[in-house]
Amino acid sequence: MRRIDQYLKETASGLRRNGVVAFAAMSTAFIALFLFGLALIIAREFSLIITYTTGNVEVQVYLTDTISPSATTTLQQKLQDLPAVESAAYVSKEAACEQAQRLFADNQAFLDNLKNNCDILPASFRVKLKDPALFEQVKAAMACQDQLQAGATVQVCAEPGVLRVQDFSALLKQLNAITHVLQFGVLAIAFVMLGAAVALIANTLRMGMFARRKEIGIMRLVGATNWRIRIPFMIEGLVESLLGAGAAILALFLVKILVIDRLRDQIRFLPWVRNSDVLSIAPLILIAATLIALIAGSIGMRRFLDV
Amino acid sequence: MISLQHVTKTYKNGVTALEDVSVEIEKGEFVFVVGQSGSGKSTLIRLLMKEEEASKGSVYVAGKHLAKISTWKVPYLRRNIGTVFQDYKLLTDKTVFENVAFALEVIGKPKHVLDQRVPEILDYVGLGDKLNNFPDELSGGEQQRVSIARACVNRPLVLLADEPTGNLDPNTSVDIMRLLDKVNRIGTTVVMATHDQAIVDAMRKRVIELDKGHVIRDQSRGVYA
Repeated sequence: MRRIDQYLKETASGLRRNGVVAFAAMSTAFIALFLFGLALIIAREFSLIITYTTGNVEVQVYLTDTISPSATTTLQQKLQDLPAVESAAYVSKEAACEQAQRLFADNQAFLDNLKNNCDILPASFRVKLKDPALFEQVKAAMACQDQLQAGATVQVCAEPGVLRVQDFSALLKQLNAITHVLQFGVLAIAFVMLGAAVALIANTLRMGMFARRKEIGIMRLVGATNWRIRIPFMIEGLVESLLGAGAAILALFLVKILVIDRLRDQIRFLPWVRNSDVLSIAPLILIAATLIALIAGSIGMRRFLDV
Repeated sequence: MISLQHVTKTYKNGVTALEDVSVEIEKGEFVFVVGQSGSGKSTLIRLLMKEEEASKGSVYVAGKHLAKISTWKVPYLRRNIGTVFQDYKLLTDKTVFENVAFALEVIGKPKHVLDQRVPEILDYVGLGDKLNNFPDELSGGEQQRVSIARACVNRPLVLLADEPTGNLDPNTSVDIMRLLDKVNRIGTTVVMATHDQAIVDAMRKRVIELDKGHVIRDQSRGVYA
């Protein structure tokens, strides 16, 4: 207990002596960890959006009006037997009509038009995939190909009874691309800042050791172990990076409340990250902060303590 | 207690500070190491506390072959060796008591040991009434007494002193020598590097004279030259 007390006293006096530099190190750790957390939140948000979009509509297989009930059953079986397919739900012409009526309930002109022509809406299978990246398999199984007819791309399917297969590959690709660019960009900045944080903390430790070189010299002379000399500095680095981590976690909650919650009110059709999502990345930030301190400690004190 | 066998020390810059030095020092001896600046006195002291490694030959201190002590065990060796320097090496922001207590604190001695031993040793060196003074408030001789107290508070087997009277006037030097003699009489082996002729002549102890890294004289009850 007494020893811990000694360590903490030495750490506190070190932080006080190194005030400005310690603050710089802390701020850098804060920015680095904040960006790191932000990258994780962005990743989480986009994974929510992707789950939402692709989870509700993946692949839709539209059917011709001439298909017989037995052929429909066979086709459903064929779709469900595909390794990429999790389920294939049948939507009849009537159901499609009802759905359209519901979707456009507040558009009377459209409804009037629809009443006489609901027949044009095709029946379909809504296919849920095990992995959204595997939609090409469905298209291939239905023997559909994109063909250029009179200057427009038209899909032609060889499988009897199949009109066309609509996939959401383009949307998915775009979402993934945005996710990766944002995530990579923020992570890249975060890593540069993490490096800077390590360097600055290592520097404060080194300055602290330099300021206390006489004390350290005496400690070595009277037989203090290297760990006894190092631990107060390690704690100092840890305190600096953990304070930075605490500030970063608070700042991420602020971003969530001030930015994301406002977007949530305005853009209601998308899912948004919740407090629990922010909370779940807090341990990762604390782990990163601890790593920063350990690396900074081993770099900062490597040369100084050769016996 | 201390044994050097054919020890040569060559520094990285090619300077040979000691060459084929062999010395035996028994437990409880008081030994002066004399010689001009650059004769190798300080190198000898630094070898004994494992601040430097011998390039050739073996150094034994307190029964330990220094070259064979692993790095992490060096601190434990140093707990058996007290060291005193010309510049005292006191911490100016700590009181006399704290300076001495520091030596016990950093090797993990509990508070009750500090509270018992520190006033005891300060009393022994004649500073029982200066516990709460800062080093700046003391004379040079008193500061050196604090440093001797710090070196002895953990009851070392060996006391190494490198020019301990180098900054002191003759009268104060005599006082410091009396104190080192007192420390020696309670069984501590004392090795003192010096070029203070008057002191060596007055003490009539064993004298090892170095010249350009060689032992040119080893004489019991000797004089400086």
